[in-house]
Amino acid sequence: MRSTTSAPKSLGWLLLPALLVLALFLGSVALLLFHAFWVKDGFSLIYFRQILDRADYHEVFLRTVSISSIVAVASAVLAYPIALLLWRLPRWRNLLLVIVLVPWLVSLVVRTYGWLVILGPKGFLNETLKWAGVIQSPLPLIFNDLGVVIGLTHVLMPFAVIATLSVLLQIDNRLEEASESLGAGGFETWRRVVLPLSLPGVFTGLGITFLTSMGAIVTPILLGGIRQKMAGTQIYQEVVYNFNMSKASAWAICLLLLSGLGLALLRMLEAALVPKADR
Amino acid sequence: MSRGTIQVAGIGKEFGPTTVLDRVDLTIDGGSFVTLLGPSGCGKTTLLRLIAGFLEPSRGTIAIDGASMQGVPPRRRPLGMVFQNLALFPHLDVFENVAYGMRIRGLAAAEISGRVSKFLGLVGLTGFERRRIGQLSGGQKQRVALARSLALEPAILLLDEPLSALDLQLRRQLQVELKSIQRQLATTFVFVTHDQEEATMLSDTIVVMNGGHVQQVGTPGEIYRRPASPFVARFVGDINMLDGRIEAIDATSVSVAVGDRRIAVPRASVVGTAATGRACQLACRPESVRLGEAPANALSIEARVSALHRLGPTVKAVLDTPLGPLTALAMADTPHAAELAEGKTVRLAVPSDTFTLFAST
Repeated sequence: MRSTTSAPKSLGWLLLPALLVLALFLGSVALLLFHAFWVKDGFSLIYFRQILDRADYHEVFLRTVSISSIVAVASAVLAYPIALLLWRLPRWRNLLLVIVLVPWLVSLVVRTYGWLVILGPKGFLNETLKWAGVIQSPLPLIFNDLGVVIGLTHVLMPFAVIATLSVLLQIDNRLEEASESLGAGGFETWRRVVLPLSLPGVFTGLGITFLTSMGAIVTPILLGGIRQKMAGTQIYQEVVYNFNMSKASAWAICLLLLSGLGLALLRMLEAALVPKADR
Repeated sequence: MSRGTIQVAGIGKEFGPTTVLDRVDLTIDGGSFVTLLGPSGCGKTTLLRLIAGFLEPSRGTIAIDGASMQGVPPRRRPLGMVFQNLALFPHLDVFENVAYGMRIRGLAAAEISGRVSKFLGLVGLTGFERRRIGQLSGGQKQRVALARSLALEPAILLLDEPLSALDLQLRRQLQVELKSIQRQLATTFVFVTHDQEEATMLSDTIVVMNGGHVQQVGTPGEIYRRPASPFVARFVGDINMLDGRIEAIDATSVSVAVGDRRIAVPRASVVGTAATGRACQLACRPESVRLGEAPANALSIEARVSALHRLGPTVKAVLDTPLGPLTALAMADTPHAAELAEGKTVRLAVPSDTFTLFAST
């Protein structure tokens, strides 16, 4: 009895770091709200009104949402076969997982410059195609939305692989045997058993990649065009170049609301598509 | 040869350096209820998975109704399987679980719903069609698994310890139902268990396995009365074992010295080849140990009751004898049983024809 009552007391200080993080988080959110609604010396909604009024700003948000959606879907689609392969090859799983994750060991900036070398106007891909006579002038693969999609998908796909794999690994392999003993071949078993049971992982991956690319800054700056801003780059610009904290905060809040909306839609889609696998 | 006959010939199976099955020969008659019985690690589940096709044998052949199963994948074998953990599809409801195999076959919707109703009726789950698997009790899941694997009307149903997770009462009830379903459908049931009572109750034929070998194949009665090895004798039911030495062999009986006693065991009760002077083991069931005066040709000894267990209709007594401890089982309402008390000295007798003699052990 003594140990159960005294343990929480003596371990209470372990909560300290968590409380510190929580205080910092809540503090910065409070600061964000303050900046957003307190412009110069008084309460104001000027930057929110600006966002609602200006068509070019609508375009930035629209681009942010559509690029993020495309990146999320592309990551999920590309990640699924990789996750399936990792799941199917238990002996090679750790090695392959390292290969999937190795890009994360390289700095984001270096990785993104790698894409410049490959996709740029005088990059590897364009030069090769020119040499082969397939094209006359370089394809615009970079400094536009396509470049941002490629760069972000590359960075975020491992998240989708891990999310999908972790759900696949929870599937009892006797279920596949049961399906097989009932006459199903490999593809039928995948379609009727493995796919429905792995969808929750796919949706987790969609959520992670969508949210992360909604807030992307570095990749859009380096691979996107000067004019093709995303919300993250706009906020970055307001903070770093224009020192307009109030405008940046208003943008951040709008971005947060849009992200939340996107996530809510994703949840609804998941609820409609994924049958409850309660056991 | 009736439908659902399985012939296993010279099967061996290794996992790496470990031999799991060695030279297994077995014929399972179509339409019978056969149990593979043995302790864990005896190879019974491996044999079942070889028949199912989830494993390929290292040596030997398996044939079903005369057709070799070599290289035939599980989905093309005429059998169904009930898994130990049942492996019901958690994302499908009861109806869709039972309908699964028929959907794969592409049967018409009307036929599917007809057969689902028929088999859910058979296992007593009518009205549960739209329940989710997570809403079912252990016994109900069991029934769904059974209906799912029977819905394709396979010639053979393989069952891998499907009842082991249930409590005793439910288990007994499902055993009775399982047996009656098997009788109705005349499907060959191959049932794996480590529970000898379950095996005895369910089976037409019991295959006792140990250490990757088949020890004995027989009806529950044969296995109990004439165990083929000391292992089988110990594994199926309670048994008393006495060490002896073969003194003499004649045309009708074998004379064995047990301690300072001699007993003539009929030759029909001898397992193995008896040779004079060799050590042997004498086995007898507790109910063969009689209390009171000895009939002719019986091992008769004085014993002290060291422990007494009254089990309702029967009494079980652990007895100290000059030959070692013996267990006796008697009906509680007999006069001798009523007089039993711990510490009391009694006279007991084991008729010589109730012994099994294991020679050359």
